[in-house]
Amino acid sequence: MTQQDLHQQRLLREAEQRVIQMNTRRHFIKESAMGLGALALSAFMGSCGTKSTDALGGIAFDPAHPLMPKLPAFAAKAKSIIYLHMAGAPSQLELFDYKPELMKMDGQDCPPSLLAGKRFAFIRGVPKMMGGQAKFAQHGQSGHWISEHLPHLATVADELCFLKAMSTDQFNHSPAQLLMQTGSPRQGRPSLGAWSTYGLGTENQNLPGFVVLTSGGRNPDAGKSIWGSGFLPSVYQGVQCRSEGDPVLFLQDPKGVDRDLRKASIDAINQVNSEEYKQYNDPETLSRISQYEMAFKMQITAPEVMDIQQEPASIHEMYGTQPGKTCFANNVLLARRLVEKGVRFVQLFDWGWDAHGVNSSLSIDIGLVNKCRAIDKPITALILDLKQRGLLEETLVVWGGEFGRTPMMENRDGKANAFKGRDHHTEAFTMWMAGAGIKKGYSFGETDEIGYSAISGKLEHYDLQATILQQLGFDHEKLTYQYQGRPFRLTDTRGKLITEILA
Amino acid sequence: MDEYQSIMSIPNLFKRKISLIILLFVLVACLSFLLVRKDTVDFSTTVKPIINKNCISCHGGVKQQGGFSLLFREEALAKTKSGKPAIIPGNAAGSEMIRRLTLKDPEERMPYQHPPLTKDEIEVLRQWVNQGAKWGNHWAYIPLEKTTVPKSSYFFGLIPKTNPWAKNEIDYFIADKWKELNLEAAPQANKETLLRRASLDLIGMPASESMANAFLKNTSSKAFEILVDSLLASPHFGEKWASMWMDLARYADSKGYERDDSRAVWRYRDWLINAYNKDMPYDVFLTKQLAGDLLPNPTDDDLIATAFQRNTMTNDEGGTDNEEFRNAAVLDRVNTTWEATMSTTFACVQCHSHPYDPFKHKDYYQFAAFYNNTRDEDTYTDYPLLRHFTDSAKIKLNKLEAWMKKHSDEQTTESTLAFLKTWQPAYNSLLCDSFTNGAVVDTKWMAFRDQSVCRLKDVTLNNKSSLIFRHQTYIPGGTWEIHIDQPNGPVIASIPIKKSSSKGGWEMTQFPIKPTVGKHDLYFTHRSKTPIDPLQNVMMFEWFYFTNPLASPLKPDFQMANQLFFELLRADLPTTPIMLENPDYMKRNTHVFERGNWQTKGALVQADVPASLGKIPANMPKNRLGMAKWLTDPNHPLASRTMVNRLWEQIFGNGLVETLEDMGSQGANPTHKELLDWLSYAFIHDNKWSIKKLLKQIILSATYQQSSVISNQNLLKDPANKYYARYPRVRLSAEQVRDQALAISGVMNATQFGPSVFPYQPKGIWLSPWNGADWIQNTDGNQYRRAVYTYCKRSAGYPSMLTFDGVSREICSPRRIRTNTPLQALATLNDSAYFDIAYHFAKRIYTADSSSKIVQIKKAYYLATYKNISENGLKSFTNLYNRAEANFKNNPQKITEFLPATASRKSSTASMAALTLVANSMLNLDEVLMKN
Repeated sequence: MTQQDLHQQRLLREAEQRVIQMNTRRHFIKESAMGLGALALSAFMGSCGTKSTDALGGIAFDPAHPLMPKLPAFAAKAKSIIYLHMAGAPSQLELFDYKPELMKMDGQDCPPSLLAGKRFAFIRGVPKMMGGQAKFAQHGQSGHWISEHLPHLATVADELCFLKAMSTDQFNHSPAQLLMQTGSPRQGRPSLGAWSTYGLGTENQNLPGFVVLTSGGRNPDAGKSIWGSGFLPSVYQGVQCRSEGDPVLFLQDPKGVDRDLRKASIDAINQVNSEEYKQYNDPETLSRISQYEMAFKMQITAPEVMDIQQEPASIHEMYGTQPGKTCFANNVLLARRLVEKGVRFVQLFDWGWDAHGVNSSLSIDIGLVNKCRAIDKPITALILDLKQRGLLEETLVVWGGEFGRTPMMENRDGKANAFKGRDHHTEAFTMWMAGAGIKKGYSFGETDEIGYSAISGKLEHYDLQATILQQLGFDHEKLTYQYQGRPFRLTDTRGKLITEILA
Repeated sequence: MDEYQSIMSIPNLFKRKISLIILLFVLVACLSFLLVRKDTVDFSTTVKPIINKNCISCHGGVKQQGGFSLLFREEALAKTKSGKPAIIPGNAAGSEMIRRLTLKDPEERMPYQHPPLTKDEIEVLRQWVNQGAKWGNHWAYIPLEKTTVPKSSYFFGLIPKTNPWAKNEIDYFIADKWKELNLEAAPQANKETLLRRASLDLIGMPASESMANAFLKNTSSKAFEILVDSLLASPHFGEKWASMWMDLARYADSKGYERDDSRAVWRYRDWLINAYNKDMPYDVFLTKQLAGDLLPNPTDDDLIATAFQRNTMTNDEGGTDNEEFRNAAVLDRVNTTWEATMSTTFACVQCHSHPYDPFKHKDYYQFAAFYNNTRDEDTYTDYPLLRHFTDSAKIKLNKLEAWMKKHSDEQTTESTLAFLKTWQPAYNSLLCDSFTNGAVVDTKWMAFRDQSVCRLKDVTLNNKSSLIFRHQTYIPGGTWEIHIDQPNGPVIASIPIKKSSSKGGWEMTQFPIKPTVGKHDLYFTHRSKTPIDPLQNVMMFEWFYFTNPLASPLKPDFQMANQLFFELLRADLPTTPIMLENPDYMKRNTHVFERGNWQTKGALVQADVPASLGKIPANMPKNRLGMAKWLTDPNHPLASRTMVNRLWEQIFGNGLVETLEDMGSQGANPTHKELLDWLSYAFIHDNKWSIKKLLKQIILSATYQQSSVISNQNLLKDPANKYYARYPRVRLSAEQVRDQALAISGVMNATQFGPSVFPYQPKGIWLSPWNGADWIQNTDGNQYRRAVYTYCKRSAGYPSMLTFDGVSREICSPRRIRTNTPLQALATLNDSAYFDIAYHFAKRIYTADSSSKIVQIKKAYYLATYKNISENGLKSFTNLYNRAEANFKNNPQKITEFLPATASRKSSTASMAALTLVANSMLNLDEVLMKN
């Protein structure tokens, strides 16, 4: 270690110390004899309605070191999360919710009881019923029904825990995605990933704490706000990583500048900044010095992690990747690599599941089958790969969309669509989870014989969010942020832990 | 000492007597003070905090456990579920509330399942009840009064002492608080620091070199004031302050939600810049934005101002319920009004009475009623729009107006001109329902197919004899008929469907209808003589406007006038979304939404303001204009305080009330309440709502002009600088970071106003579904415009702005929380936009003096900070330069890789490349990114 490195390290340590000393936003730190580990804990002890003299509420938010790792409130089952969101809402009736009775009604007029008082996005008048457009079989010890569209996934059926009676109250994509990810159908609330990062900070300071990867050629319908930070400090928003161009925006040095030269320039900046610190005595300057050091390290670490070429051929084969392209399979492999390196929350959005039947790529009979083909192998590989690395036990995998699809065939504007399609459906849809303390080979919740509505185990997004936070080590009622005079939380006033699925 | 003794040279005995008397006096005073204090337990400062902390979550606006609420006095004293009141004023011993606080049984003792109150807290509540359980108002809800400046004084307050440090009244308030912590003022900052500080604060970027040099050379005591005056007069002033307001106004260039298409509303941004530049009084500024359309004879500018509330999002996603998102926009306007102009979180009241502050559930919807009668209906086209007439169109308009004034009646003239300007008030076709063979396509436009029937409800015909409709025609040949009240009711129009004259695009057609009195449901039916594809749309409609001819067709030149009318009507003109009130016959009722759900309508309400904050002036109507008058009335407790607090935050990095979003009883306590009140009162009464005067007052204070060097003493006593015994170092805003870099490098294109621009942005940021639009970078110089002009897309904001804590502008954002992350470092180090700027910066210094790198580096540092570089600084950058130059000399191919493609071959030298890297590094200095 050179003299200079030692100097920098000392400076960094000093920065941490000074920041901790000076930051009154965290005045309780001084009072906490238990040290940093207890920080988050004490932050979440405040009960609802507590008047806080602190503008942000009693929270371990340190503007100079906002991503400092924090301990959860209690021992967590999940160290990290890989959340696979199929934007557009996949059909439960073609994938996991096997309904032979619906097949018998195929082509019949929809009974009025299913239409009265309901709101649909596109169905008008009386649509026809449509049976599941896939063959189903039972798989594994668990006997999960899985459709022919997902032959690989069927081989790991015993790892999965299905939630078959998910429901929502938003029937348009953008509001429903917001509801699923932020707890509110309108913009302005922090996302699940932002809440997690706010609560836990970042394990690996050389990588963002919350990474978002998109595929399918379009952003999800609700745009960046579904991985946004809402009213939380913006540092907690998801960082979108890309498999083309810079993996993280602005990560790459300009062409012609090699690492040594960049190091030299950061050294010059930091030397002058140290002078500045001597003059002004402002701890924020020390913090900036460390941010530039971190940026330099991130420039090395992030491209390494993001470079899936480093994986052996067998892994590429397993995931079905297409190196050099932007695709779901690449993103899934990336997700595993990121989680391995200590990223807490990796979220994938894959666009193109909105099978209305208006064209072939957005149809039940063609588009959906292709989308399934594109995710089947990588998702299966992810579960097997995490398992073989011993990571599945501490990584929670979540799969699902923002709502389900109708057991009726869509008749947009009251006339038949060009392809087979289903409209948006709020009352029942399927999601699944795997790993990190969730029951294996289990299924919770049931829909009626045509998959229209829940008959048992009905869940809403709040319950799912509460359970995900639980696995991360938080009581969803206590992970709060003081804003607009009240403690806000992801699950608002709702949310019931799905204890039935906890192993 | 001598002097002192001479004054006090009185006989000893007498002295002792005096001391005794004084001692007695002091004792009595202390005792009476204690007694008095005991006598007046203050509700707001003593009781309310205890209630908010311990009781209100179960006994407040949200929940009323046991039928008991502590939000309003009348509720607190009312009978609870038990049949008895829980508080009996004057009788704590007999009050159930007090009894329950002290019980042992955990099932009975309050707060339920929470730790008991402390003895002191119970004692406070006991006394308060005994004293009559009087209610009080939270400080921010009490109208402003003139307060005195806390100057210490000689002779029992008769002669005020001047503080030599103080430059104006602000300083007395600040210094007064220092007594508590024994703090002292930091030294006056040097001129270089003040120059940069004031420039960034007032115009959002460094002053021009000439302005800077003029100031630095001016040794007069007025030099700083002269600088401040010229900054205030700069046309760039408005750009800086508009940026602040645009977060509140949730200004964006796109509509939001899934498709997030473009919206042309930049004229509103320009209106803001102009308003700040002209120093429009803040009460006028608010009135125009909230109710410009309701002013007598509003100008186009007044109408553009109302786009403030048209910056709500419009949901173009297919299959959405337009009424749902119209309601969402209405509620967003309510929330924005309260957050932006009154620092009050009204959004909670959407679902239930405010948990802590004196606002009832009903208050919210009474206020919403102000906004529930505008013409907007979540239409794809963002109606109502103001159409901006070109000069040639204006000539035609004047000609038509003159003709009508001569040949038509006043009312027809007025409504015709209004219609030409806005295409309003028209019935939007998306309101159609009861379809047979037809639909509202993509939930946007009504379309009918062969033999279709649909209904348009509640249309006021009032004997109108003409219909103008905007439509697209796909299959000509048939007829559409308008029936009254029933699908087979009387026909008032039978309109032949003609071939499209605009190749299937939108067109506007006029057709006579049979005059009919009153309000009716209209049924539109379609018939065709020849069989057509039953699945194909025949026609699609956007809106219907019922009117009368311009005048009697017998009037001279009627044909000419009519032709002018249609030319103007059909002219393809730029537009801006504006607020426009419904005519009486289109008025909507406003209901309370039970638990905030727009589909569960409760009691019918009328527009009004919350009773707890006064009334609409008696001579004003209960509409948006009346509401604006109430808001800007000198007695309104929040409008002035909110703006003063916001301006203070822009200058000092923190508000006097830190929670800009909430000044209510749950917000942060003000650090300097007296100062806030004094400034707020002065803002109204002395400065007549002049923002420039207020800013000047703040900036000329000694408090502002302190050094930001932090002494160890000061850091220890006041780490967060809540007492302002130094100037706070604050990181620049996202806009300032960009603007400063553009200014320093000399590459800034200072053009003002106009459509938003597209500087460099990495590829692949824009990928909204159902929207093929792409970011096409400007190469015509517009890429170097100030940040305020950068195109803002809600679902995918400009990346480096978001990195520096910019907001997505989807909803009102009252405060940006500054963070410090490695991603910010990466943006200013590597973003091509910043690298390009660094290259131009290098060019600027290179041409300044190409002979010596030392001179160049010195010059660069001076331009970046208006300060001279230190020895060590110069050494660091010279080392970097040498290293870079050697590197590029050894690898000449890297020079062309490194420098932008626009660099000429001649300037592509190793020294130029080295200088560019130095320039890039300099723009990353803490000193440059921070306001010192």
